[in-house]
Amino acid sequence: MIRLQNLPLKRKVTLVILLTCSAVLLLACGVLAAYQLYDFRKALISDSSVLADVIGKNTCGALAFQDENSAKQTLLALQSEPYVSGARVYDAQGNEFASYVQEGAIDQLPVHPSAEGHSFQNGHLVLFHKITLNNKAIGTIYLQTDLKGMYDRLRVFGGIAFLVLAGSLLVALVLASPLQKPISGPILDLTQTVRTIAERKDYTVRVPSKGTDETGLLVDAFNQLLAGIGERDAALRGEITERKNAEGKVQSQLARLELLHRITRAISERLDLQSIFQVVIRTLEDNLPIDFICICLYEQNANILTVANVGAGGEKLAAELGMTRDARIEIDQNGLSQCVHGSLVYEPDISESQAPFPRRLAKTGLRSLVAAPLLVESKVFGALIAVRKQVESFTSGDCEFLNQLSGHVALAAHQAQLYEALQQAYDDLRQTQQAVMQQERLKALGQMASGIAHDINNAISPIALYTESLLEKETTLSPRARDYLSTIQHAIEDVSHTVARMREFYRQREQQLALTPVKLNELILQVVDLSRARWSDMPQQRGIFIKVETSLDAALPQVMGVESEIREALVNLIFNAVDAMPEGGTLTLRTRLSDQPTRLVHVEVCDTGIGMDEQTRRHCLEPFFTTKGERGTGLGLAMVFGIVRRHNADIEIESAQGKGTTMQLNFPVPATQAISASKDSAPFVVPTRLRLLVVDDDPLLIKSLRDALETDGHLVVAAGGGQDGVKAFRTSVEQKEPFAAVITDLGMPYMDGRQVAAAIKGLSPATPVILLTGWGQRLIAEGDIPPHVDHILNKPPKLRDLREILARCVQTKPA
Amino acid sequence: MVIAMRFKTYITVWLCAAVLAGIPANAPAQSKEYQIKAAFLFNFAQFVNWPSTAFTETNAPFCIGILGDDPFGQALDQTVQGETVDNRKIIIERSKNIGDLKNCQMIFVSRSEKKHINEILANLDSQPVLTVGEVEGFAESGGDIDFYLAGPKVRFEINPTATQSDGLKVSSQLLSLGKIVQTAKGDK
Repeated sequence: MIRLQNLPLKRKVTLVILLTCSAVLLLACGVLAAYQLYDFRKALISDSSVLADVIGKNTCGALAFQDENSAKQTLLALQSEPYVSGARVYDAQGNEFASYVQEGAIDQLPVHPSAEGHSFQNGHLVLFHKITLNNKAIGTIYLQTDLKGMYDRLRVFGGIAFLVLAGSLLVALVLASPLQKPISGPILDLTQTVRTIAERKDYTVRVPSKGTDETGLLVDAFNQLLAGIGERDAALRGEITERKNAEGKVQSQLARLELLHRITRAISERLDLQSIFQVVIRTLEDNLPIDFICICLYEQNANILTVANVGAGGEKLAAELGMTRDARIEIDQNGLSQCVHGSLVYEPDISESQAPFPRRLAKTGLRSLVAAPLLVESKVFGALIAVRKQVESFTSGDCEFLNQLSGHVALAAHQAQLYEALQQAYDDLRQTQQAVMQQERLKALGQMASGIAHDINNAISPIALYTESLLEKETTLSPRARDYLSTIQHAIEDVSHTVARMREFYRQREQQLALTPVKLNELILQVVDLSRARWSDMPQQRGIFIKVETSLDAALPQVMGVESEIREALVNLIFNAVDAMPEGGTLTLRTRLSDQPTRLVHVEVCDTGIGMDEQTRRHCLEPFFTTKGERGTGLGLAMVFGIVRRHNADIEIESAQGKGTTMQLNFPVPATQAISASKDSAPFVVPTRLRLLVVDDDPLLIKSLRDALETDGHLVVAAGGGQDGVKAFRTSVEQKEPFAAVITDLGMPYMDGRQVAAAIKGLSPATPVILLTGWGQRLIAEGDIPPHVDHILNKPPKLRDLREILARCVQTKPA
Repeated sequence: MVIAMRFKTYITVWLCAAVLAGIPANAPAQSKEYQIKAAFLFNFAQFVNWPSTAFTETNAPFCIGILGDDPFGQALDQTVQGETVDNRKIIIERSKNIGDLKNCQMIFVSRSEKKHINEILANLDSQPVLTVGEVEGFAESGGDIDFYLAGPKVRFEINPTATQSDGLKVSSQLLSLGKIVQTAKGDK
């Protein structure tokens, strides 16, 4: 059934016709065959009856006269009947009288007769017939006819029926083919049309209309249906196209959103502007078709855009445009000015633009431009400029995207700026905190140091006075003694300077030093000598050898500076170099002059030691930074740096780990060398025989001072304390033997120098008071000269200074 | 041997029959033969057509005459009892004189008349009477039908010339069953 279902219509119709014909024919043949069978049987029975009757008649006599042979002969006549397979005659008593069996047939004849009649048994017709003579039954004849004949006839009939059937079907087939066309034709047309529609999706195809029968109606209805479908299809297509467009828009919107998200996330992780701009530009270049892109920063005052970052893809173009990094763009009246006023500018075609910036872009083949402002708190600080070579290539979506992006970028940039400011503030705060801490430390150190310095100044004052006095007055000294004494004098001077500087640690303010011309070559040789113990003796005790080389430029000009400070700096550098060479090495001290760009004297201290890493190099000048652990104070290089800065010089450090370090101090060369003329050449007249009061609690100082002053021919009255001094002065005033000047120490028990000075001025305002102090230099520098004090003399006092002050006192006195 | 056996069987049957019936031993054998012969006589009447001249009147009965001693006993009477020939009643006439049997259509000539056969036949010549004998040469002598014994079976000779001349129409079946003989010429 399924097979029939799947057959093509044409065949189906044909098949139906054929099946119908076959069924009818078969029925007809069957009926005919049945009738034939019936007829044949009837004929057979009739024939057999007749035959039996004839034979009965013919054997009547034989029966009557009991002549079996005759009967047999009669029966033999049946040989001419091929279908009679056997016959038997029974006498009146029912006994066998005569028999006939066809040749080849089996004797199955019944022994006794049955009642008259016929029946079909085992493919045979058997028939019993009474033989009568004069209406009296004298016997029975049995006739057995096989049905071969009937079957033969049926076979022949069957053959004929088959031929008729086959012929009829053939005719039916031949006829069905054209006859089924009116039925199957329109349906096939329909099918073909449906297939065509299915293949081409073309709903304009129509089935040719034929006639007005049901098929015709069906075709018309189908065509109407097609028209309807075509309309709906068109509508649907329109809708689909619309939806696809919408979907495409949504997709691109999503892609942009994703991009925006990506960029936003990327830039939110970055905190410096350049990195943010770079990420933005690179991501845009990678994800959008953009021919040139840059981010510019806006300088409101100059009304100029500065290119901050250019896309890598557009670098060549940027060079062509002259819009490389840090290039400046004038803001024209058209696009850019609108942009810097905070609105997004889109120029779909800049080829005709007259404004200079678009024209510049247009020259290189760029056509459409978008400039999005970077706005923070409604203030434009920059612009994102994206350019494409195609005309009108930015969609409204692109513009919106760039606008949003620029918003995010601006926000991120703003954050970066805020972060930078915060970082700066934090750094400042930390530095301040460090400075404060350092100051606190230095203050403590300085307070301690100033006490020590005071004592040291006091202690070395006699040495200085005596040494100077000896060198000056003792003309009989041997050259060797003179040499020793002058070395002592230098050392004392250094000591006093060192002591003076010790207190600078807690001093924040830079003081103006009295700069004198310094011969650096000589200074270096001195320093090498001074530090010999450190670079030669101490290492050698540990079996380490450090070689020291000097390479000095003989034509080196003098520089302005404080010799002791520079010496101190150099000593520090040498100590550091020695510390950097725990395995030994070479220490080189070099001086040279360079003219370009300005005249500079370079002093280099080079070692071949362990060197510094970048981190160390960067921090080594900071105070309290040390790599020496407990041994280092972290003040050495900080001090050097301070000294260098005070000399208007700078320091360059060249170092790499394992490659040694070169510290280079660069001193400016003064324009003229004439400044070297110093004030010491100023002439003054040394007064003699002055009556002087010296007040000090240190007997050694009093003694040395008295000796020095008395050597100069002055009269010296010494007082061991403030009160004693004031008493002595009062006595002298009362005795009318006034002192020409009072020299008093500042720090004294019970009554210090200031009180003494006040008391003396109270008694005799005209008497000059000279304050002798270990803090003298500081007081002068700070302008902190106590009231009632006329002059300040530093400890250890120099004879020369003392004389000069006394001379000035005497000079001013008459006035 | 076979014959001997059969004969023995017959003897036995007869003896048994005789004992049971209480009749002489030869009587049943005789009776059997004549019962058959009686039936044959009746059957001859069925297969022979007599001309209407053979009957004195339309409804005249069919008469069977026995000339000489009657060998049938009751057999013939029993055989024809209730039977008809051509819708005629059958009667049996017995006589030793041929003249008494003038109305008979069939005359059985008994063995007792052996010596007078030619005389009897001459008397009945060309008359529509079927003559049946049981003596050898009866048919050759001009008789119509002559019984003879072929073994145990009763057979008959038939002389179609005689029947023809008597004006009898003998059925072909009968002719085919009987032994055809012709009248011996010398005897005439």
